[in-house]
Amino acid sequence: MPREWGRQKPTRVMEMSDNSTILEIKNLDVAYGHAKALYAVSLSLKQGETSFVIGRNGAGKTTLLKTITGLLKPLNGSVIYEGREISGSPPEKISLDGIRYVAQEKKVFGNLTVKENIELAAYGAGEPLERALDKVIGLYPKIRNFLKIKAGQLSGGQRQILLIGRALVGEPKLLLIDEPTEGLAANVIEDVTAILSRMKGHVSAMIVEQNLAFVNQLADRVYIMKEGKVEREIADRSAISDTREFEQYL
Amino acid sequence: MNKEDENTPGPMTDLLEFKKHLPKERILLDLALIAAGFVLLAPILNVQRVTDFMIFCIFVLSFDLLYGYMGRLSFGHMLFLGAGAYGGGLCIRYMTKDPLLAVLAGIIMAGLLAMLLGIIIVRTTGACFALINLAFNQVGFFLVLSVLREITKGEDGIGVVPAGLGWLNLGSRPVMFGFVLFFLLLVFYILRRITTSPYGILIRSIKEDEARVKFLGYNTFLYKWLTYVFAGCVAGLAGTLSALNYGYVNPNFMDTHRNVDVIFAVLIGGAGNLYGSIIGGVVYMVISNYLAIYIPRWEMFLGISLLILVFRFRQGIWGFVREQGSRRSVRGEIGVKKG
Repeated sequence: MPREWGRQKPTRVMEMSDNSTILEIKNLDVAYGHAKALYAVSLSLKQGETSFVIGRNGAGKTTLLKTITGLLKPLNGSVIYEGREISGSPPEKISLDGIRYVAQEKKVFGNLTVKENIELAAYGAGEPLERALDKVIGLYPKIRNFLKIKAGQLSGGQRQILLIGRALVGEPKLLLIDEPTEGLAANVIEDVTAILSRMKGHVSAMIVEQNLAFVNQLADRVYIMKEGKVEREIADRSAISDTREFEQYL
Repeated sequence: MNKEDENTPGPMTDLLEFKKHLPKERILLDLALIAAGFVLLAPILNVQRVTDFMIFCIFVLSFDLLYGYMGRLSFGHMLFLGAGAYGGGLCIRYMTKDPLLAVLAGIIMAGLLAMLLGIIIVRTTGACFALINLAFNQVGFFLVLSVLREITKGEDGIGVVPAGLGWLNLGSRPVMFGFVLFFLLLVFYILRRITTSPYGILIRSIKEDEARVKFLGYNTFLYKWLTYVFAGCVAGLAGTLSALNYGYVNPNFMDTHRNVDVIFAVLIGGAGNLYGSIIGGVVYMVISNYLAIYIPRWEMFLGISLLILVFRFRQGIWGFVREQGSRRSVRGEIGVKKG
């Protein structure tokens, strides 16, 4: 059977706005039916950069990630990834282009074993299983003990780590992670922080988060969202370190 | 293409990579157990009945692939059984009396129908999926009953008398038993390997959460369509074997009411497990064939059994047996540790 079966054709190449920019969002308007959720959102992400999107519940953070992943279609505006327009593309095509999404719900395939969860990602990404397993075990060695158990039996923290590990299978270029530390114990947050710190510089990441200590440890850039709009952009490390200023937006 | 590229798995080619997932000895043992089970049942329950049971088990296996593994409940799977029966029957009546070619014609007929309808049907889920299948089943039933009467002979149906298979006469009950057993084992073998391959993992994950499978880069439509077509082909095989076994085919082979049989059988045995399908198929056939002799309204007994299953044994007979087995092994381990 042809190797291309199940794969999408690559998207059309548009003009590159900036060589070091991996993702550029311009004037994005998104609505759920008649209820508008994003108003002319514009932001960008550089290669290898970890940027955070913070804001109160309902600010439009998750909607933004869902639009980038192709789950929602924008009313207006564009999502340019590596110089290509991807807004409106199906999620599977966007995933194959190198964008991986870790949703907020921490949903693994509960009836599959941990190994099968990784295997599924490996075949989807075209990476040999052994290499994918090595990669995930390398990130979180404890997972070796859980490979044969059903993923549904994992704790919330273990699931989150499995999801992040699974998203890193197959050389992704951009990770979109929604509230990775929500509901996790302090020691698990440390594990998640360690994993993402190791990925810093190698994979670009856009993370939606409300945990300011976590933001402070990893952020290269912070976007503050309020009522569907980008209120502020902070790219200065010293300004990011002073998280007190962010508290008024949470 | 460099060497590394050649070794890089593609979505379909390597999804069907089986070797490392299931040892050959294990499959051979499974096949031997199934064959031995039916051979032992034959003298007890009558060879012709057991042949019928085996055909029903093939049909249940095809339905389980769709429902138990991929999570798509169809109320119209009889359409493909009927298509296979008519495909094989018409082949014998108008083209050749070779039973193997008839089987091939039945599979092709059901497969082509599934390919065509699958393009529309697999885009739906839940009640919509179930009812669209039922609607097409109903359309198929009336087509063979009236619109295509010239070819199908309507309600009277057509006689299906195949030639021998070499020196073997399919009219002989033991020969037909062996012929059907061969196809049952073949179907079980193929399904066992498919469901334990990464492709099997993929369709099970579609059952759990299709959107997340898409996020992993899979075009789920293609895999759902392939599974639908394959399930249709296996049901078509069961249909042709059924026509060969009975020696005729009529619109009852496509009767929408009989969809309930296969749903009950899968639930009784345990959905999402091939052993469960075989057990469910046999248990359902025993209930429907033998209870009817002793209990006038045996369907009521079946309904009560189903209620008990739903409330007490949600995983079906096979699921219950496995659960008990794993509990015992855990107790055993604890006992060993304490000792």
